[in-house]
Amino acid sequence: MIKLEGVSKIFKGDVVALKNATAEIQRGEFVFLVGPSGSGKSTFIRLLNREEIADEGRIMVAGKDLSSLSSWKVPYLRRNIGYIFQDYKLLPKKTVYENVAFGLEVIGRPRQVIRQQVPAILELVGLARKAERLPDELSGGEKQRVSIARAFVNRPMILLADEPTGNLDPGTSVGIMRLLDRINRSGTTVVMATHDRGVVDTMRRRVIELDRGVITRDESRGVYE
Amino acid sequence: MLYRLWYYVRETLVSLWRNLSLTLAAILTVAISLSLVGASLLIREGAARATAQFQEGVEFIVFMVADASPEQDAAIRNVLDSSPAVSGYTYVDKAAAYEEFQRLFADKPELIESVTPAVMPPSYRIVPANPDAGNVAEMARQFGEQPGVKEVATATEAIRQIEDFSTRVSQALLVAAVVLVGVSTLLILNTVFTAIGARRQEIEVMKLVGATNWFIRIPFMLEGTIHGLAGAALAIPALYVVDSQVLAYFQESDAVPLFRGFAVPDGFVWDTSIWLLVIGGLVGMIGSAVAVTRFTDV
Repeated sequence: MIKLEGVSKIFKGDVVALKNATAEIQRGEFVFLVGPSGSGKSTFIRLLNREEIADEGRIMVAGKDLSSLSSWKVPYLRRNIGYIFQDYKLLPKKTVYENVAFGLEVIGRPRQVIRQQVPAILELVGLARKAERLPDELSGGEKQRVSIARAFVNRPMILLADEPTGNLDPGTSVGIMRLLDRINRSGTTVVMATHDRGVVDTMRRRVIELDRGVITRDESRGVYE
Repeated sequence: MLYRLWYYVRETLVSLWRNLSLTLAAILTVAISLSLVGASLLIREGAARATAQFQEGVEFIVFMVADASPEQDAAIRNVLDSSPAVSGYTYVDKAAAYEEFQRLFADKPELIESVTPAVMPPSYRIVPANPDAGNVAEMARQFGEQPGVKEVATATEAIRQIEDFSTRVSQALLVAAVVLVGVSTLLILNTVFTAIGARRQEIEVMKLVGATNWFIRIPFMLEGTIHGLAGAALAIPALYVVDSQVLAYFQESDAVPLFRGFAVPDGFVWDTSIWLLVIGGLVGMIGSAVAVTRFTDV
């Protein structure tokens, strides 16, 4: 599903974000990316979504070689990839329902499909009763559920998560991880960058550790350290 | 498809409304600049029609009597062909003279009805080698004495003044208009840029969920195009005001009889209106296209 071969990414001023990284992630895997701040976790994720382009090496995502993918095809790649963030990136003036529907609307999904899929996904993330609320009226955990609903409503093959529990207390994080686990069990590949030791140690999934842009560890049922 | 169209329309309208003060500024600037473009075109056309017979260096016109004999005609032609004082001439026959008459007085059908091609005098439009006024007057006097010549009309000082005046006015208006069209384009660019800024979050989310660049850009481009078209639409009434007030003022002035021809047919005003809409639309599209390609890339 995802394959990196000797991938390097160097930012201006010789900041090495990723150095000669090689890894392969199979369909349906759940992978944690761990490591200190600035170790290259976010760059790893942004490369998979082609927000960044690798300077060296080859990245394959969902059968596409990202280095040779022309930019007009990038949106179609991203329709196969859900993306969630530490800061949720919800639109403050839209309701929960509208935020999720927006994700389908802007890729040109017909209205009937939206009417059908949005309530179903809100049910899945446990927010069916808060569909008409605005993001400001929700707790952090609820906001992250909306963000997950938006990322998953199009049933992508891959879900990328950049510190999704970074702003949440441990109790709320557990709920979010259960949800991600459930999504993963439905066949979606999940790649999650995190600092959250508790989450990694509880889940016992594959762990890829980065240090200053280099992959230093890749264990199939790993812990945080 | 219909749903998508509705999406574009809705997003465009919301954006126009949110940005109301800048939107109005952009529309008014386009309206003013296009009014000037239109006024310039009308005045130029009016002057061209008023002085149509004296274009391209023609300094005097020899009108033959309507029933001039072929011999009389040949004699004139012979002089024109052989005289070194004549640098060129064109012959306007009865049919062509009638056609021109119809064009010049398109607004006055009763005048056109009163003549037929048969009564129109054929004429020679003469470009002298030396356009000096004294020389032209002397040549005109000589031709006037030839048999078969009805009269000789010279390009008087008045005609030169009209041409001069209209050239200056229309050029000044055109320069102002070109500057303002540039300003309008920049203003539209800025307005659309502001609209993009106001929706930065939305655009970010749209890109992440896989909306295509065009899907993101179209509402902004529509917004700019609407600025341009709305401005042009406001400039069109201004065009009719110029036609009915300014040009009409010239026509009614008794000072110079030639000003009477200072009219443009309704068709020309209509054509100019269409052009203003085209220019307005293009200005809007170009301004917004620059804004979206510079600020919404993946």
